[in-house]
Amino acid sequence: MERKKTYIEDIDRGIYDIKNDFTYRYKTDKGLTEDIIMEISREKNEPEWMRDFRLKSLEIYNNKPIPTWGADLSGLDIDNIITYIRPDTDMKHSWDDVPEDIKITFELLGIPQAERESLAGVGAQYDSEVVYHNIKQELIDQGIIYTDMETALKEYEDVVKEYFMKLIPPNDHKFAALHGAVWSGGSFVYVPEGVQVDIPLQSYFRLNAPGAGQFEHTLIIVEKGAKLHFIEGCSAPMYRVNNLHAGCVELFVKENATLRYSTIENWSKNMYNLNTKRAVVDKNGTIEWISGSFGSKVSMLYPMSILRGEGARSEFTGITFAAEGQHLDTGTKVVHAAPHTTSTVNSKSLSKDGGYAFYRGLLRVAENAYGCKSTVSCESLMLDNISKSDTLPIIELNNDNIDIGHEAKIGRISDEAIFYLMSRGISEEEAKAMIVRGFVEPITKELPLEYAVELNNLINIELEGTIG
Amino acid sequence: MLWKRIGLKDFEFPKVHDYKKDYIKIEGKFPKEVKINRISESENKYFDIEFSGVGDKFTSFAKKYYNAGIQLRLPRNTKIVEPVKLEFHMDENNPTLVDKNLIIAEEGSEVNIIMDYYSNEKIETLHNGLTVIYAKENATVNIIKIQRLGDSSQSFDSNIAYVEGNGKVNWISVELGSYISGSNYRTYLDGEASGSNLSSIYLGDGIRKMDLEYTMIHKGPRSISNIETKGVLKDNSKKVFRGNLDFKRGSRHSKGVEEEYVILLDPTVKSDSIPALLCDEDDVEGEHAASAGQIDENKLFYLMSRGLDERESKKLVVEASFRPIIDRIPYKYLQEIIFDEIERRLIDA
Repeated sequence: MERKKTYIEDIDRGIYDIKNDFTYRYKTDKGLTEDIIMEISREKNEPEWMRDFRLKSLEIYNNKPIPTWGADLSGLDIDNIITYIRPDTDMKHSWDDVPEDIKITFELLGIPQAERESLAGVGAQYDSEVVYHNIKQELIDQGIIYTDMETALKEYEDVVKEYFMKLIPPNDHKFAALHGAVWSGGSFVYVPEGVQVDIPLQSYFRLNAPGAGQFEHTLIIVEKGAKLHFIEGCSAPMYRVNNLHAGCVELFVKENATLRYSTIENWSKNMYNLNTKRAVVDKNGTIEWISGSFGSKVSMLYPMSILRGEGARSEFTGITFAAEGQHLDTGTKVVHAAPHTTSTVNSKSLSKDGGYAFYRGLLRVAENAYGCKSTVSCESLMLDNISKSDTLPIIELNNDNIDIGHEAKIGRISDEAIFYLMSRGISEEEAKAMIVRGFVEPITKELPLEYAVELNNLINIELEGTIG
Repeated sequence: MLWKRIGLKDFEFPKVHDYKKDYIKIEGKFPKEVKINRISESENKYFDIEFSGVGDKFTSFAKKYYNAGIQLRLPRNTKIVEPVKLEFHMDENNPTLVDKNLIIAEEGSEVNIIMDYYSNEKIETLHNGLTVIYAKENATVNIIKIQRLGDSSQSFDSNIAYVEGNGKVNWISVELGSYISGSNYRTYLDGEASGSNLSSIYLGDGIRKMDLEYTMIHKGPRSISNIETKGVLKDNSKKVFRGNLDFKRGSRHSKGVEEEYVILLDPTVKSDSIPALLCDEDDVEGEHAASAGQIDENKLFYLMSRGLDERESKKLVVEASFRPIIDRIPYKYLQEIIFDEIERRLIDA
């Protein structure tokens, strides 16, 4: 008897694939030269040290090899990527002032509505520059700064200079160097000591231009005892030419502070998503990563937590969904660099229609980091046998006073589980839907309600036969 | 490069002299058809395989410059209960051993093999081995490898098995010696319902560096594999554990489990674990688990409250962790050798 299988449909990309005409006020030529870097810097009217930083990064970029491990990057041709495109507008603080076509794009993505209903502040980037930034007055009154990186560089130059690319130096890897050279846009958040922000801030990055790159820089500083939830959304319409995203996210979590960083990444399938994210956490601080990777052609994304203060904590919850033509190489890195630090990693991946999901993780415990605890759990579900799913968690332990547990599982959802639910009076269809939703639930439950609903809608389940 | 984690960058082989000692020990009486001989050129075709083992350099060296080893062929349906024992006792006159071994178990046959490598503490010895096993349909090969060379020795060992339908290859690996030890076991589960278990223990003490890699490649449907490893690290030892479960397309209904548990006894140890789960087939079950930690303080406290000193208590807890694996060795004398060696390294050292 032929066994029927239940399929999970592709993500409905309808709203993400709406293209606007490619209009711009200014753009650089394709490729990467010293002249182009100088142009970007001049266009942005930057201080000298930033221009020099860019030039130094370019030099590092030219001297670094393309990584040979992980995903195949041979389809990426930097010489044909436009690194800087200024959209035909300045940054606005009201949606009414944002040009109609750009505004409609964000309307369709639900950003202004979410801002009215559930966010404390919103930033929206279109191609290389931020076109909209707004924050509730009461947050400004508490001393919170939430603005685009360009404004931050002008108004808070000292702070930016102190933190910018200190956590992810340009010589970290080739794409960090590229970022250092051509970065543009992104958000800057500063939460003063003791201030607790209960409603999230969100920045949304939209790349509309074909054959372009987006290199936004996000810098968040959460001072002692403060608290913040930051949401990052990404999408782009589908083009025939390859696009590149090489952003940087640097998060500084001070003593007793808490930062939750949520990402729903839904790039189109012509995108190389080579993003670098890193957090450093001081004494008793907490970093929580929520990471959903659905889009892009190729992703190499491993958010890293450096627990440098005693009692610091990190939590990573991630879901990766690789469909046809996608190679999503994702995971997380945790470095326990101080005593009594704890970390939890919970990763789920789905692959279907020839998609390739790869979990790649690192857990490192330093010599002096005694009394650490860590649990790592990875689960993968393959929905057919033309897909691929690999798991490679590296564990490096350099002292004995630790408690480490790791487990990984791959497989189909058991017939027993479905049978059990059916024996409780639940129909077969419902039982399967429950199980698949249950598989992704650890991430949906961590999101604000609107996003959870959105995510559930993204994953439509076509129910027929067995799962897996 | 496999060796970067334990810092072995370059390696030069010494000149290989004849290995003059007798190493094939057979106590039982085997049927005439069972052929056990020293390895010879005539079997070269069986070594014409793609297998890097601990490193291409080491396997190609063993293929060419071997000075010991056996070729063993079991005819159809021949089952021998008494073990085939290979004892490699290295000494001043035989400090270099390059053993190349071939085991062919024809349909329905069964064999037990023990390979024991040891040397005196002070002598600098080098062991580089290559063992190739072919288990045909319904054949079973049980093989126990014990590496307890002295602390001035280096040991490199590459093992590979091809298992046909309903065949079984069961490995037991005991790693107790040498200051550098590389061990590689790769099993191809080619046939339907083929199976392989790999049970291993390792003990790191002094400055020992170990790189252990165990790989199960599922090709046949309904194939089953199980890797279970228990380790203990003390002093300045370092180990790298690489466990790979690889489900190839077509290996439907297969199941693979991999587990590593390590007890860390000193703040100066280093322990890397890289368990990989590779999957090209949806209808399989794969699981890996790794855990690491100190000895349970409650257990230690209990034992000490009964009048045992700390060293002895630790030894008991370590032995208790190793015991489920050692109990799978069906030879009392070997179990004793292993426990004595563990005791010597934990208490006397």
